[in-house]
Amino acid sequence: MTQGFLSKNPSVLWFLLVLGLFTLGVTVLSETAGVGLISTSFVKTLGKTLCLCLIAIAMDVVWGYCGILSLGHFAFFGIGGYAIGMWLMYARTEIIVIKSLNAAAIPPTPEEITDAVGQQIFGVVGSTDFPWLWAFSDSLFLQLLMVVLVPGLLALVFGWLAFRSRVTGVYLSILTQAMTLALALYLFQNDSGLRGNNGLSGLQNIPGFERTPQAVISLGFFWASALALALGYVLFAWVVSGKMGSVIRGIRDNESRVRFLGYHVETYKLFVFTLTAVISGIAGALYYPQAGIINPAEVAPIASIYLAVWVAIGGRGRLYGAVLGAAVVSLMSSWFTGGGAPNIPLGFYTIQWTDWWLVLLGFSFVAVTLFFPKGIGGLFDIIVRKGDQK
Amino acid sequence: MNTLLELSGVSVSFDGFRAINNLSFQIGEPELRAIIGPNGAGKTTFMDIITGKTRPDAGRVIFGEKSVSLLKMSESQIARSGIGRKFQKPTVFEAQTVRENLAMALSNPRGPFDVLIYRKTPTGAARIEEIADEIGLSDHLTRRSGELSHGQKQWLEIGMLLAQDPRLLLVDEPAAGMTPAEREHTTDLLKRAAQTRAVVVVEHDMEFVRRLDCKVTVLHEGSVLAEGSLDHVTKNKDVIDVYLGR
Repeated sequence: MTQGFLSKNPSVLWFLLVLGLFTLGVTVLSETAGVGLISTSFVKTLGKTLCLCLIAIAMDVVWGYCGILSLGHFAFFGIGGYAIGMWLMYARTEIIVIKSLNAAAIPPTPEEITDAVGQQIFGVVGSTDFPWLWAFSDSLFLQLLMVVLVPGLLALVFGWLAFRSRVTGVYLSILTQAMTLALALYLFQNDSGLRGNNGLSGLQNIPGFERTPQAVISLGFFWASALALALGYVLFAWVVSGKMGSVIRGIRDNESRVRFLGYHVETYKLFVFTLTAVISGIAGALYYPQAGIINPAEVAPIASIYLAVWVAIGGRGRLYGAVLGAAVVSLMSSWFTGGGAPNIPLGFYTIQWTDWWLVLLGFSFVAVTLFFPKGIGGLFDIIVRKGDQK
Repeated sequence: MNTLLELSGVSVSFDGFRAINNLSFQIGEPELRAIIGPNGAGKTTFMDIITGKTRPDAGRVIFGEKSVSLLKMSESQIARSGIGRKFQKPTVFEAQTVRENLAMALSNPRGPFDVLIYRKTPTGAARIEEIADEIGLSDHLTRRSGELSHGQKQWLEIGMLLAQDPRLLLVDEPAAGMTPAEREHTTDLLKRAAQTRAVVVVEHDMEFVRRLDCKVTVLHEGSVLAEGSLDHVTKNKDVIDVYLGR
């Protein structure tokens, strides 16, 4: 597959080259390498951005290629984050608890340790018992499995029900939105077993790496995110190339024609929906240890709508477009809302970007939709066409 | 000539309106058949029932030597068991090339994982060339099908049906919006296809039906009004009253 596939898709090689150079550049300029031009917190921002790029290409495959406007993919992202967050929180609390209990005269029993860990984690929601959800939280391996399995199974069941009933278009979008809203509302409850609206915190502290400075950890996650994006990009580029790409683009453009050609459209949609959900879960599992905290607001419907906006601005139906959209918009968003952008005094009114950024984003979205339906990625077409003319 | 498809006593209503009323129909293999009838006669519903898009309220639809019922099968299963359908409006995948359109239709395994690991084969490529030659699009294989003319799109869709290698081809108004020369090509295409398989053509245009030179079934208010050669049915008094007389 690989040899012929990569040589036929030069854009994949270009992407990998740019991503590799970017990763190298950030590494050299980071505090770990000694130059320190890029602060540790900015390395984290960039690492998180790479994770957002990964979920954006998943969104592009499901929406841009297969035509399913899912407004719920951040649910899968959040589930991935929660799954890894449970292990991070459990393992780290256990280490702290054991350390403090060992200072006592009598060595603690395993039950005492479990109780104390439960107290530490769930005291905030007025409980000390471990809910069943945390059954595997002491095992990194099992929780990593959950990162893939839970989003995958949820997408499989949800997708099977929705696609089987031939729910399409805007109705499907509403349904996916309801799914992520339901998940958020469930998580907001204190007795959900996932600490209600406190969410899971302290995720930036990796158990077993207590002595490693955050500068190094952040770089490690940055590399892992870059690697995940590279692998995800190659995987999706392979899926959407060749005959599979033909069929799923066919489903986007004319579902019934594909059906009367003898393809079971629902199975294809389910395949794409589930695969992209799994990749979204992985992206979330890499994102939240860099963010340090996850709470139910992360899976609120608005997050998934932003995702659609990134992909639309970046350019649907091309993977690098989705990467560009996610990177540009999310970095601009943190610049504008993080106080990076200077306020504009108009005399009678001062434009404060923390308030006005969303308005600007809204206008850009409308402008892109009206005037550049191909998005930022469409610029490459112009460049390529000019190159051809020469 | 064996019976390939048989409908008997088929009825379907939409909100009280009887679109198909106790319809019985047979076609053999190979055979070319034209179906004519005024608007609302149930021509499209008839195709919808055969291809599994609409489920009838009553009646039987039986296909092939093993007499399998099509009523329990999904659209894609029916398509895989050998029934191809051409829509009235040309429906090809406009964002993709002619070659990609034909490749998608080639009769290969249709499961997602088969498709994911599918690799082009010399026989597949040869078959695509052959079909492209048949439909007169050999020089356009690398063009995006959205750029084709209306008539070429119609032929491409017929080519996609041929690539599916169906035993029964249902063709809805293939000549609509075509120039006389294009019509002639289309007639030849359908006639050739009907040498080895069953072809059902739904058509409004009498001149086109005459050129097909085949048995004609006249539909009216959801059931068969008359059947026979074109000359025979055009002399039928009922047919003249409901359709031709107007």
